[in-house]
Amino acid sequence: MARRLPLAVAAPVLGAALVASIVVAVTIGPADIRFDEVWASIASHLGFGVSPLPLLRDGIVWELRLPRVLTAAAVGAGLAIAGAVMQAITRNPLADPYLLGLSSGASLGAVAVLLLGAAVLLPLAAFLGAMVALGLTLLLASSLGAITPSRTVLAGLAVSALASAITSLVIFWTVTGDSYREILGWLLGSLAGARWPAVTIVVIAIVIAGIPIMLTGRLLDAFAFGDVSAASLGVNVSATRWALLAASALLTGAMVSVSGSIGFVGLILPHAVRLIAGPAHRALLPLAALVGAIFLVWADTVARTAFEPRELPVGIVTAIIGAPIFALLLSRRRRLT
Amino acid sequence: MTGNSAADGLEASRISIRAGNTVLIDGVDCTIPSGTVSALIGPNGAGKSTLLRTLAAVQQPATGTVAFDGTDLFAMPRRERARLVAFVEQDATTDTAMTVTSVVGLGRLPHQSLFRDDTGDSATIVAAALHTVEMSGFADREFASLSGGERQRVMLARALAQQPTLLLLDEPTNHLDIGAQLEVLGLLGRLAANGTTVLAALHDLGLAASYSDHVIVLRAGTVVAAGRTAETLTPELIREVYGVHATVLHNPTTGRPVIALSPL
Repeated sequence: MARRLPLAVAAPVLGAALVASIVVAVTIGPADIRFDEVWASIASHLGFGVSPLPLLRDGIVWELRLPRVLTAAAVGAGLAIAGAVMQAITRNPLADPYLLGLSSGASLGAVAVLLLGAAVLLPLAAFLGAMVALGLTLLLASSLGAITPSRTVLAGLAVSALASAITSLVIFWTVTGDSYREILGWLLGSLAGARWPAVTIVVIAIVIAGIPIMLTGRLLDAFAFGDVSAASLGVNVSATRWALLAASALLTGAMVSVSGSIGFVGLILPHAVRLIAGPAHRALLPLAALVGAIFLVWADTVARTAFEPRELPVGIVTAIIGAPIFALLLSRRRRLT
Repeated sequence: MTGNSAADGLEASRISIRAGNTVLIDGVDCTIPSGTVSALIGPNGAGKSTLLRTLAAVQQPATGTVAFDGTDLFAMPRRERARLVAFVEQDATTDTAMTVTSVVGLGRLPHQSLFRDDTGDSATIVAAALHTVEMSGFADREFASLSGGERQRVMLARALAQQPTLLLLDEPTNHLDIGAQLEVLGLLGRLAANGTTVLAALHDLGLAASYSDHVIVLRAGTVVAAGRTAETLTPELIREVYGVHATVLHNPTTGRPVIALSPL
């Protein structure tokens, strides 16, 4: 109960662990690359000296592994933040970043452009799909009367089901051979295609949506006893809720656009971090972001190396690790928020 | 503010509250004088909780205004209002694993901003509030593990941590045993004596009679009587509103009314 790890201790430790994880993960893979080679390559591309590595090995570090690992870290952080926020503002411990139809909308957008043969537009289409789904969810929720968290969740369920059905229909009628594999990989969540443009997208999302969300920890705490209580503490309940919802949607939409929908990160990690850091969001949000980043870096390392030379979609790895943890958390009957 | 004594205290005028097409509160006017304990009483379903939420400025009424010392509460900046008005809900619950101390610490939110720490000594104020409600020994307990009565006291401590001038409480004696009920109501009296304006919705007529200076009697969304408790709570009124026979006596120790009830 009182043995909660303070932010001032946990944040630097986890921050160092994240940096170490990123560097170590870059060394792992079919081609053996040493730590000093990783540093040397990064330093040279940042303008400090000339890379001593042969062009090919330098390319493996700088063009393939580093952007992929950085994308994994940012996506993990973003999903964990979005999950913690969704759980707080809907007061629903089972909420996750994909709640409001975001992932099914993104999938539909992605599948549509893959089939049109316009794979370069995939991130944009996935993002637009997510935003359209969110818009429909909110429209449907408001048509039921005042927009409440439970109505929003139910509306999200309906929109999700519709988008998934259309996605399945499209796949069923049109997909053959190679494109099937590509689409399946994307639907299950994969970082295989992550290069520097992906890093740019997710880092921008973290900066414009993730960091502002992290600064609102105190406001999220005020929601612990519901809307009336938050209002009596001076919180502008509806403005705060919609601003956080929009920021989380933007964050999630950006993550989905580069990685597909990677499950369980946003659902499980906030709960796991609450067990060590307590429920106060000022500590929970940054720590969940760090743990989410570390987790996804390693999950993706497993995904790309466990069955070399074949790759698993990382969504399978997170589900295999996440589902039992979820069951464990449930069975311990811990209060999940 | 003019310092005009007519504007002192909480003043609500022409308050109507609707839920869909149902009128819950219909054109209510009421005044709560500064530095007193007032009781909002009435049968179940009269609209006590609904009216209280609007008087606490957490629920906008369909029509009407709520002012404290002449200032419109709904026009005030939210955090400034939360430093002035505290509201203790009935049966507050949370799914979170927050400790008692962090729950009471929420009362300091109006005194903080996202980027600025507390204007006061938050830890001391929180500890003092817990001491006032005699819950100091529970500081590190998980709120969700407490009994109903303990939760009630913690939520009162949270309101005290807001350091409000106006304190509104919805059934603050719920879940409390009789000794604790008297303690809480005694505490409200001491707060009022120190200048806090207190309004509590109470369903227990006897407690309302013994501990309030003023009463507002609500029935079916309208005020049927209001005024000084001793003058307002007459046997005729109680019979009309609650449909029971009442004998009003005077407690020789406190000088306040004592109500004995029996069926008609």
